[in-house]
Amino acid sequence: MRTFADAKIGDTLGPLEVFISKDQCRRYARSGGMDAPRFTDDEGARKEGLPGMILPGNMSLGLLCKFVTDWLGPEGGAKLQRIGTTYRVPVQPDHTITFHGFITHATPEDRTVEIDVWIENEDAERLVTGTATVQFPK
Amino acid sequence: MVDFDPSLINHIFEETDPVKVSAEDIEKFCEALGESNPIYNDEQAAKKGPYGELVAPPSFAVSFRNGRHFFEHIPRFGQRGFDAGKDVEFVRPVRAGDEITLTSYVKEIYEKTGRSGSMVFVVIRSTLRNQNREVVAHVDHRFMNRP
Amino acid sequence: MATTLDLHSHSEASEDSRAPVEAYLNWIQLRHSERPLDGIVLTEHRQFNRKADYRHLEDKYGVMVLRASEVETNYGHVLVFGVNEDILKRFDFANVRLDAQELLDEVARMGGLAVPCHPGRPNIGMCEHYRTKPPLNNVVAVELLNGGSRKGEDEQSAELIRRYGYRATGGSDSHLVSLIGLCATRFAADIRSIEDLVRELKTGQYEPVDFRPRRQPVTNAVAVEPR
Repeated sequence: MRTFADAKIGDTLGPLEVFISKDQCRRYARSGGMDAPRFTDDEGARKEGLPGMILPGNMSLGLLCKFVTDWLGPEGGAKLQRIGTTYRVPVQPDHTITFHGFITHATPEDRTVEIDVWIENEDAERLVTGTATVQFPK
Repeated sequence: MVDFDPSLINHIFEETDPVKVSAEDIEKFCEALGESNPIYNDEQAAKKGPYGELVAPPSFAVSFRNGRHFFEHIPRFGQRGFDAGKDVEFVRPVRAGDEITLTSYVKEIYEKTGRSGSMVFVVIRSTLRNQNREVVAHVDHRFMNRP
Repeated sequence: MATTLDLHSHSEASEDSRAPVEAYLNWIQLRHSERPLDGIVLTEHRQFNRKADYRHLEDKYGVMVLRASEVETNYGHVLVFGVNEDILKRFDFANVRLDAQELLDEVARMGGLAVPCHPGRPNIGMCEHYRTKPPLNNVVAVELLNGGSRKGEDEQSAELIRRYGYRATGGSDSHLVSLIGLCATRFAADIRSIEDLVRELKTGQYEPVDFRPRRQPVTNAVAVEPR
């Protein structure tokens, strides 16, 4: 169980290497009613000028949330309070992506911790960037 | 500078009908995301988690769709492009049995240039409320248009 | 005494950044052994904050904070150093279609310096524009190393610099706290103010420096499959 005292500025989350298959991408897209070709079909995505099918932005956001909440662990009272994301480059399934995080700030008064989070591709290019705020219980 | 009707800003243009959340919806969402944290599916584990009960993962909040006529209410600048990012404030968790509505307004419109060329960003703020009218989340969606 | 500055960074004043200035300085202090910076230059998108005063933070962290801007032109994005009232009256920084040649000429005439940034980036870097438009006059330096560059972009910038004999700078282009100082510029001279910086960029000795970590090869990833 992670506590506020455990979270030090400069500490890292991950790096975590993850492989999202095209099937999982389609499953997520369809479960959310996002069955546009860009999320389900390579050929359809290319017609939109994309390199192939891509993860919905919501899926990248969801995976980043999971990255943070997995780091927090299932026990204890720490909650994800906020996440902000920028989708800089499309994330393609059937590629290895790496999740990174750095704790950049800790506020004892309200027991919140700020974390830079991002997803990189195999060339170490940042595809999705963001920050998360976690609140630890008093 | 991008041209638009300033009265659009902060004007609520949509409140969706309530969408009821089932335990199955949450389970399907977890499966699709590869979310295996037991606090989302195991009652005993959930009791020890941050909410003390079974809840949906935080990012379930962005899975609620706006109304079918959503895009008719927001200004369009050339080709509709992509979801450019979201800022989400998680206020309360979503539970099975909740009924969620979204209330939306245009928060900001701005122009910039980037790797893919000229872009106009339309930022929509959607507030999710449950059946008790309690705020569940605030979601700022940034939609990128290509003029 | 040499000075190393990150010449390109964005604080939360830029709409796509989430980095408070104080958090940047704290990070620089924490990571000084890996990224030995003496200061940063805030180059906010399409704006210049006349009133911002970071002296209390400079004193607290021992790191210099200078202010500049990143504007958008018909030849891509350009960093403007030495922004003053004359420059702000002459150019609307919110305009995403400024004339690059006018910007270069007038900013220099009014005491500042305009430095095209990330020249190798598609659409908003000058390399692409040089393929279809005449080269700009009066370019002193361009940004060779940019912390947000994708594969091949810095290399294109290097080729541009070789071809035209431009001087080269480095900057992180950071929008996140932990990315500050990934690339920077090392000056031979002691720089204490924006006036010093403009003078040294025009006539001093400097080189871009790269503090990006060497990447480890990607090991076999674990597939994340649904339950």
